[in-house]
Amino acid sequence: MSQPIRTAEDLKGVEAAGLATLYPDKLKIVVGSASCGLAVGAGAVLAAAIATVKELGLDATIARTGCIGFCSQEPLLDLLLPNGPRISYARMTPEKTRSLLAAYAKSGELSPDMALGRFAGEEHVLTGEGHVYTSSQKAAEAVPEWSSLDFFRGQQKVILRSCGSIDPLSIDEAIARGAYRGAMVAIQEMPQDKVIDEVINSGLRGRGGAAFPTGQKWRFARKAAGDTKYVVCNADEGEPGACMDRTVLEGDPHATLEGMLIGAFAIGAQEGFVYVRNEYPLAIATLQTAIDEAEKYGLLGDDILGSGWSFRVRIRVGAGAYICGEETALLESIEGAAGEPRSRPPFPVVSGLWGCPTVVNNVKTWASVAPIITRGAAWYAAMGTRSTKGTTVFSLEGAVNNSGLVEIPFGLTLREMIYGIGGGIPNDRPLKAVQAGGAARGCIPPSFLDLTIDMEDRPNESLMIGTGGIIVLDDKACMVDMARYLVEFFLDESCGKCVPCREGLRQMAGIMDRICTGEGSEADLFLLERLAGTMKAAAVCGLGGMAPSAVMTNLQHFRDEFETHIRDKQCPAGVCRGLAPTGTTN
Amino acid sequence: MTSDANQQKVATTNKDDKGPCGAVLVCGGGIAGIQASLDLSAAGFRVYLVEESPTIGGGMARLDKTFPTGDCATCIISPKLVECMRDLNIEVLTMADVAGLEGEAGHFHAKVQKRPRSVDSAKCTGCGDCWAACPVRNHPELPAEFQPQIQLKAEDATRLDEILARHEGDPGAMVPVLREINNAYRYLPREILEQLASRWGVRLASVLRVASFYDQLRLEPVGHHVVEACDGTSCHSKGARAMLERLEEKIGVAAGGTDPSGRFTLRTVRCLGLCASSPAMRIDGQNFARLDLDGVSDILEQFK
Repeated sequence: MSQPIRTAEDLKGVEAAGLATLYPDKLKIVVGSASCGLAVGAGAVLAAAIATVKELGLDATIARTGCIGFCSQEPLLDLLLPNGPRISYARMTPEKTRSLLAAYAKSGELSPDMALGRFAGEEHVLTGEGHVYTSSQKAAEAVPEWSSLDFFRGQQKVILRSCGSIDPLSIDEAIARGAYRGAMVAIQEMPQDKVIDEVINSGLRGRGGAAFPTGQKWRFARKAAGDTKYVVCNADEGEPGACMDRTVLEGDPHATLEGMLIGAFAIGAQEGFVYVRNEYPLAIATLQTAIDEAEKYGLLGDDILGSGWSFRVRIRVGAGAYICGEETALLESIEGAAGEPRSRPPFPVVSGLWGCPTVVNNVKTWASVAPIITRGAAWYAAMGTRSTKGTTVFSLEGAVNNSGLVEIPFGLTLREMIYGIGGGIPNDRPLKAVQAGGAARGCIPPSFLDLTIDMEDRPNESLMIGTGGIIVLDDKACMVDMARYLVEFFLDESCGKCVPCREGLRQMAGIMDRICTGEGSEADLFLLERLAGTMKAAAVCGLGGMAPSAVMTNLQHFRDEFETHIRDKQCPAGVCRGLAPTGTTN
Repeated sequence: MTSDANQQKVATTNKDDKGPCGAVLVCGGGIAGIQASLDLSAAGFRVYLVEESPTIGGGMARLDKTFPTGDCATCIISPKLVECMRDLNIEVLTMADVAGLEGEAGHFHAKVQKRPRSVDSAKCTGCGDCWAACPVRNHPELPAEFQPQIQLKAEDATRLDEILARHEGDPGAMVPVLREINNAYRYLPREILEQLASRWGVRLASVLRVASFYDQLRLEPVGHHVVEACDGTSCHSKGARAMLERLEEKIGVAAGGTDPSGRFTLRTVRCLGLCASSPAMRIDGQNFARLDLDGVSDILEQFK
């Protein structure tokens, strides 16, 4: 089964094999087994499913899949009925699994009360086609459609197109949903410049946070002098509160690999690296399997798709350093050195890995490439806002009812995100702040809720949420404590190369400690502002320059809370130890 | 500052070898030493500035900015360096050590030993070509004290060979090799690092520099189980601190330490990426999420 793929017919053959396991003619039991599921007991659910099927003698296949995004409902177990829809059951336990399967085996009972949602069909985003489940099961109709659930209404899956649907270890199932068609079209039918034009026209911008136009970056690298070029995938998702890249790599590794393949072809690279952080062992293992499988099919390695061009991908595993998410520090780390940032210019597109032109893109950026090729730039550019096209993935978490991964076209507001998709705040508590777009952005107050989410900050209009963590904070959170937490985070992660960052953060942490323990003075706020100004002006890299704005944003929007801590020695939310709580919070 | 009469006095007393000699020896050519020399010279003293390294300037010459004002360090020190070198009253002795000191205040005899520079400073133009050609710099002959002291046990040597063989020809092998050693031994044993440095022909310091940079590479042995409590933003907002305190209490050690019995090492980690099911922790690579305080104790019990 590992004949190299050369032609569209070869791809069709693999597709047929994939479809057979993806939508079999008999009962299929699927357990969401990404890290988020496994951490809350998906392993035990899977084991119970296997044991029960054997015990009852059910004619069923059992499969694993990645995370479908609805992490707060994990562990999820799906039944794909032989002649009916796909039904998902949420918050499963081994006991529930046993009773569900026993009831089904006995009388075909579907236990709709335990069900979360039902798929009438699945869209294959890459091809624009899909699979429609035949629905002759009356009982299933009691279960709501997936797309009618708050959490999924308004979502549009492009990057997460196959997460939670395919077995991430099966390249056949990825191909069955359209993977590697884009690569085939690009490599066999399109000149390199045409590929880059298509990406430029799509308006795709870097999804890692800086929002640089991806096609431009590729063009610079293509034009840069040199025969040896590299592509790099930045999967060092160190930003606390973000887990989108992990989910993509664990759920659909071929999405990223195909993007890198197309990018490497376009700029003329022969080698690629995926830099994954050490904290994601499952993502590393899944990706390695994906690379091996792709090499067997001749989709990576020598003579790709019969073109004579070679391209290899290697995984580099980080070792626990936040700063390695910064692209030049990441390159240093791939070269085997300590991950300290380089000065730019020269930019990596001119002088990156070992001095060669290098394109560094985020996991989500790479995963967005293949659909642009198969569906066209115009299709992609039709999604999103005037300035920011397409979709991106956010992780919505903290004090919201529905937490998990959300993929939306740009242009929604934070309010739609939190109160629509997120289903509001538990117990209808008031919203106090949102920590969005990475630690350095600090916490923003509810007055920002009606700004649209974009890749540009426009006053009174849009809000940039670069790295896509959205952490919702209700009135039980203390903004002074959050500021202290964020400073301590940066203090931990400062590499210590330059003095403003290393010493400035130490001083800031000291001041925040004083304020949180009731020993702060009014002068401390002034001192914080002065320190922040110095650090912003003098730090070598973005980390030191951005870190003080975490505190400054909190201070700007929640100054009264800081002053209560200092003047009244009270913590309104009752978080800071040793300070009396005030107000009505309990 | 010093009147002519005083200078006269210095000059005259110098002759009879009894009174103050009129010369000052400054030890250390950093910014403080340079400023002291300049001030003393202005005050009319003859200055000998002794510096152990090949050049004066010290720590400040290596800094980009000064704290807390953010002033440019070079802009402060460069004029002083030039002034110091041009001042006819200051004699700069670099690569020199004070070998002996005799006499009393106002009348010392200092013995200064200069080390070989291996460069003819009269001919040197500072082109830097000797750097590339230097056999000492490119092939460090480690002083005896830095040579590996202990011969590795046969199994350790084989294991190291295997690890190195897997990364043969990879120019960026340092981090992956250190990771593999770290995974095999649960930390980076000193003797293995020494062997590694000597096999690669690099200084131990450059291996340690990489090893100490990354959180996951550990230079100290760890306990039988490693408990990593997530302290990401989402976990923090959902009570990660209380969870950490419960862990500290149950294990009996503060975060960052290993309990006396060597069973658990407790540390915090910034984000396990389980943000939508916080708070979370990881023990020996196995993730646990959506934790409550009592659940934490139960989970610890599973790891004996």
